[in-house]
Amino acid sequence: MSLTAAYFPAGSTRRMAIRVIFILVTLFESLPAEPERFKVDPKIANILSSYCTDCHEEGTEKGKLRLDQLEALPLDSLLEVMNRMHERVHFEEMPPKKEDQPTEDERKQLENWLAEVLHANHASKLEEKLRMPEYGNKVDHEKLFSGSYRNLPGHTPDRRWLISEFIFNAKFNRILDFKMQTTIDGKSQSVVGSTNRSVNLTNPFLLPTHSGVRYYDTATLESGHLLTMHTNAKQASAYLIKKRNGLPVTAAILAAQFEHERILATRESHLRTNIEELLRDLFKEKHEGMRPAFVPTQRSPIEPPDKNFDVRRPANEEIDKIITTVRKHAKDGLDREKLILLCEEEWFYHGVSERVIMIRVTWLRGYLEEAMRRWKVSPVKSPSPTPSDLDAIRTGLLKHRQHGDTYAAIISKCMAEWSDELRRERERTVIPDETFAKLIDELFIRIMEREPTPKEKSDYIALTKDYLLKLGNELTVDRLFQTLILRSEFVYRQEFGEGEADEHGRKMLSPRDASYALAYALTDSSPDKELQEAARNGKLVTREDYRREVERMLKVQSQYYLIDEAVGADSLTNIPIRKLRFFREFFGYPAMLPIFKDNKRFGGDYGRTFTRFVTEADMLVEFILKQDRNVFERLLTTEEFYVFHSGDNTAMAASSGLIQEIHGYFKDEDWRNFNDDDLKAHIPFLKEHPMPGLNLDAIGKVGGRSNQLKIFKDMMTNYSERLGSGLAVTAPFSTVFGVANAAQTRTGAKLGGAEVAKSFNLDLKSWNYPTSQPARMEHRRGILTHPAWLIAFAANTQTDPVRRGKWIREKLLAGSIPDVPVTVDAVIPEDHHQTLRQRLEKKTEAEYCWQCHVYMNPLGTTFEMYDDFGRYRIEEFLEHPDNLVRKMPDKGSPQDDLRDLYKTLPVNATGHLEGTGDPELDGDVRDAIDLVERLGKSSKVRQSIIRHAFRYFMGRNEVLSDSKTLIDADQAYLQSGGSFDAVIVSLLTSDSFIYRKPAN
Amino acid sequence: MRSRRDFLKSTVLGTGALSLTPFFNTFGATPQESGFPKRFVFIRKSNGERPNEVALPGLTAKEKALEDKKLPFEVDLRDRELPFYLRALDKHKDNLCILQGLSCMMSENGHYSFSSIMGAYKSNRNSLSGIKRATIDFELAKLFPSPFGHVELSLTGNYSAFRSGIVSGYSASGPHQRNYCYADPQTAFNELFGAVTDPGMVGTDNAMFKFLESEESFKAGVLEGYEKLKLSNHIDSLESTVARNVKLSQMAGSIAKHIPQIGKIHAAGGLNASYPEKQEAMTEILIAALVTGLTNVVTYTIDELSTPVRGLPGNEGDLISIHSIGHGGGYSGVSSDKIRENIRIGQIKQVARIVEGLKAMPEGKGTMFDNTMILYFPEGGETHHGWGFEAPYVILAGNNCKLDVAGRYFRVPYHATEGHKTIGNWYTTLLNAHGNPIKHYGDLDLEMSRKKLAQTGFIREFMA
Repeated sequence: MSLTAAYFPAGSTRRMAIRVIFILVTLFESLPAEPERFKVDPKIANILSSYCTDCHEEGTEKGKLRLDQLEALPLDSLLEVMNRMHERVHFEEMPPKKEDQPTEDERKQLENWLAEVLHANHASKLEEKLRMPEYGNKVDHEKLFSGSYRNLPGHTPDRRWLISEFIFNAKFNRILDFKMQTTIDGKSQSVVGSTNRSVNLTNPFLLPTHSGVRYYDTATLESGHLLTMHTNAKQASAYLIKKRNGLPVTAAILAAQFEHERILATRESHLRTNIEELLRDLFKEKHEGMRPAFVPTQRSPIEPPDKNFDVRRPANEEIDKIITTVRKHAKDGLDREKLILLCEEEWFYHGVSERVIMIRVTWLRGYLEEAMRRWKVSPVKSPSPTPSDLDAIRTGLLKHRQHGDTYAAIISKCMAEWSDELRRERERTVIPDETFAKLIDELFIRIMEREPTPKEKSDYIALTKDYLLKLGNELTVDRLFQTLILRSEFVYRQEFGEGEADEHGRKMLSPRDASYALAYALTDSSPDKELQEAARNGKLVTREDYRREVERMLKVQSQYYLIDEAVGADSLTNIPIRKLRFFREFFGYPAMLPIFKDNKRFGGDYGRTFTRFVTEADMLVEFILKQDRNVFERLLTTEEFYVFHSGDNTAMAASSGLIQEIHGYFKDEDWRNFNDDDLKAHIPFLKEHPMPGLNLDAIGKVGGRSNQLKIFKDMMTNYSERLGSGLAVTAPFSTVFGVANAAQTRTGAKLGGAEVAKSFNLDLKSWNYPTSQPARMEHRRGILTHPAWLIAFAANTQTDPVRRGKWIREKLLAGSIPDVPVTVDAVIPEDHHQTLRQRLEKKTEAEYCWQCHVYMNPLGTTFEMYDDFGRYRIEEFLEHPDNLVRKMPDKGSPQDDLRDLYKTLPVNATGHLEGTGDPELDGDVRDAIDLVERLGKSSKVRQSIIRHAFRYFMGRNEVLSDSKTLIDADQAYLQSGGSFDAVIVSLLTSDSFIYRKPAN
Repeated sequence: MRSRRDFLKSTVLGTGALSLTPFFNTFGATPQESGFPKRFVFIRKSNGERPNEVALPGLTAKEKALEDKKLPFEVDLRDRELPFYLRALDKHKDNLCILQGLSCMMSENGHYSFSSIMGAYKSNRNSLSGIKRATIDFELAKLFPSPFGHVELSLTGNYSAFRSGIVSGYSASGPHQRNYCYADPQTAFNELFGAVTDPGMVGTDNAMFKFLESEESFKAGVLEGYEKLKLSNHIDSLESTVARNVKLSQMAGSIAKHIPQIGKIHAAGGLNASYPEKQEAMTEILIAALVTGLTNVVTYTIDELSTPVRGLPGNEGDLISIHSIGHGGGYSGVSSDKIRENIRIGQIKQVARIVEGLKAMPEGKGTMFDNTMILYFPEGGETHHGWGFEAPYVILAGNNCKLDVAGRYFRVPYHATEGHKTIGNWYTTLLNAHGNPIKHYGDLDLEMSRKKLAQTGFIREFMA
């Protein structure tokens, strides 16, 4: 193995020299002579000897790593070891804190030496790792916020940033001109973010699903992306060519093609309608003899006795064809079967497939008379052929008709010839270069949102000519669309500096790139008009310009965004989508959606509920963001939540009030003994106060489930159960099968999922429903106690204190937890006599496990005060068949608790907080509420959230030169009274965002 | 990061077709011991499959009692009469297995299961985020790589007309990855065999990729470091695609020998073709895709509740809604149950045709069918509004199949009782038998979990 690329430092300490000499002698004895050998720099050897090899040498090697024989290692192994060393030294993870530490200078020397050797061998992994999200917290938190590094000039490298799944959708929606309008709060509103377009596209740019920041600039386009994008490009191109909306040059170039298609369609239509007459006219007495020999189709053995025409009928167009033929042949006195046979014969001559003829014939045998009586054939608007078309048709028929041809075969031959002729005619038409130039402009503007450069224009004109030689006009345009969509510029965001470099070698983002960077920071869409104009008019060149635009965009609330299609069409917000999405992804509560939960353990219909949890968590985040005061603290510690609420207090009060009014009106009536007439007597009231599910027109007319009197009584029974016992206000839900809840979502759909209340320990029967929300809920503080978060960080059938603790350590306390070692069986053992916490403690108490679990368990176990559905509890069910105390019914109404009852043990939710850096906050905690209240007061927690916000808006990890940016953002938050908008403005006007330098 | 060589290794066919399988990755595929790959055909049907209709009609009184009580038992079906709708498989009883009692409670069920029945998870309707993992067909396709990797076909519609073209499929190549599928025979034909039928298009594809490659190379020339790497990946992907098209041309000769004939009625989406005509054409394409070696795994949605059934024998004049017959609606005096049976008869005829088509193709000392498994199963459990307590599987297994299933009528213990097996166990069995050592594929059954019943791993009785 060659060592020629290795680094050879000079000098040595005595101890190291002896060791190196020994190794070299050994090597020289055992290996053929090689030109150069790797040596450890003596200064470095001294550092290693002083701080490392006491533990990492023969007999004492920690982590099975020896550092006393580096020079003896084969190159691959050596580089691997050095990469491990580089990482540990860089992050100051070695030597361990309890051991003697090298000076800052010594550490720097060692790190520089490792970096030099690794770079010389093109083997350094640290830089790539440092870009990865999981290494975000490795940069020392105290250093970042200490102020010691705030003079370092911040910048982001010039970069291409692969588009996200959201930008992909927005780009294609723009190109395809797909827009969505939805009625929200009674008004038609524009909503962006839907993928419900008519073109099938597959999104290859899906982001990872972990909580935290998901969209980084580290992803690169792979072969899979390209292949998928090629199919997408073909689909999009075909659609654009068909529609041609706003593409005048494309339409002009394809005009001849579309004209020829029109001619062909006219001729074909005329032939299909009139071919028999035309042939008879042209071939006279020979015509019938030239037709193929008629073979009747096989009859279906079943006579259709049922004459329910409306249910059984084929598609309208098909009936039109059948009846048109029947009417053509029908004559007075003609036998029914003979008539059908004549039709069959005609279809046979036309070349209709045997099976279709069989279907038509069978249908006619069942419905002939009824169809003739009832069916009105829709008039077909056939284009009229011109005299030249008629000449061509006659010539074609004479030329192509052969003995035994079906009419379809003749038409097919004629069409093939004309199509070929017209194509040749188009090929003879020379399209001037100027037109191509305009086409290239048009396509660049549509797809790239800019004009081509002169080089691009000339390259693409040459490419167009090349395509034309092989493909013809339509396919050439099609191919040009595809080519542009497959360019790197389409799939990567461009963020490059432009203009004069400052004294640090930094350049400001080019105005155009800045306009996109700002637009994509807050939305998924291209720059709006104001941003475009600012970029064009030189108004995006100063920090103040950035501030003006960011502040403007943050105020916009006229645009609605679809938050998450998986949640449903009502998952909407009108604050800039990426502002809301930051907290959605940071907390990671949408991860509850794919977690499959047991209805029985929930005690109700979880399947109708789970999207409501996410929607209401989103609503809470949106509510706090709109108020924009003490945002982090309130997200972590608010006592107010949305529970079975649309977000519209007035509408919810009206829905709930309706129930009260109906109950109040009827409660003193003898409604239990009403008959239909008694109920009808109250129609005037019920018209003004429509009872959900009650159809006033159907009273007394329908039985069974639709018996209106029964629905009325069932509803009143439930209303009385709830309001009759003194409850002031009840939630607007229904317990009657098939009757929707009284409340609506903001888009007018029925509001479902009332059983979310169960996770808040609310008894739907006795819940004094707060129509104005968010409202205070018992035993809750902030998002981490919201059922959505608790379910997202739970398993299917039990809680998950480890993941909950890990989330808090990494997201709020800026800590790092190594991945589970592959040798560890990370499963909590079953024991139905113990709580989950007891079993977890037993599993993780060993020193080897505890060295990591100490950072997670004491945080995560505080949430044991909630079960895996997010219900507050003081006793834990020991769910096992042996512990079953009472089996509950499997079915019931939403207000029933259907959970089986098991033996229990008391919950221990105590824990310990360490890592805030604040002795007032660190220490033993009573439970999760105590924990989150302390976290809400912590500066480190606030700064940790700001670090994540930095990564979210910059698309990369922070480094020491971003220290000023982070400190400024932190100060902006504090000085603004906890405004997240202030944090965004600070970040997007920071040096880290504005300035770019060439990437290393 | 995948190298260019890796990429070339994994795919060798035209971009138009291959691009239908996003992120398909054939890394880690093991060479086949016999030199011949194993093949799998998954046929999804809608409207459920009622266990009593799949039960053998000639069971003894004792067996019948077990069947009725849904208790475990097995019989050798080779000397038994088959249910009426399976008669087309009479000649293939030696290869036939009827697997009763598997549950699929962890999949979506109800009207539609979307990708969940083949992924053993709840898919949250049809949302991308609900796709939790690669479906079983894609997992198997990774083990038996082929130029297309995986092909998905479907005959679905909007109740009055068939879907056509390339549309979203139900298989998934990975989490949150929805596959494409070919929704009509002509599109499937064009996409699968386009390299032979339209070689000019492949040439212009290559011209486009080469142009893009030169354009990106120019940009990359002025970059350094990580940014250069990004463009270099882009260029590699373009180069690989061109190289793969060259390989495609090399395969064209052998593909051409097996190209099926598709009737003109299927042109432009085949809107006038009847359901049986569509089925027949799809069957021919499916067989050809396997015989040519373009793929070793096909997933075929043979019907869905919205598939417009026109031309069904016995109801030739009716446009049948599968959804309506699921709710008991008859047509033209024919009861819904009889129509459901007729639909199944037609579908099983296609299954038999696939078996016979592959048995007619020599491979090694036997035929291509020897290395093939066909699975015909309901997408949503036991009935129209399936709950998932039972999902009967009709399986055809070739002689070299790695599972001991052929000739067996096998009923596993009922859902949530000791020894019960789920589709997760069944798919784990398929994977373990073919080289994927996964401990358990799919989500667990929550009632089994609640009752603390063992439910992970393969089905021991089927391991050969």
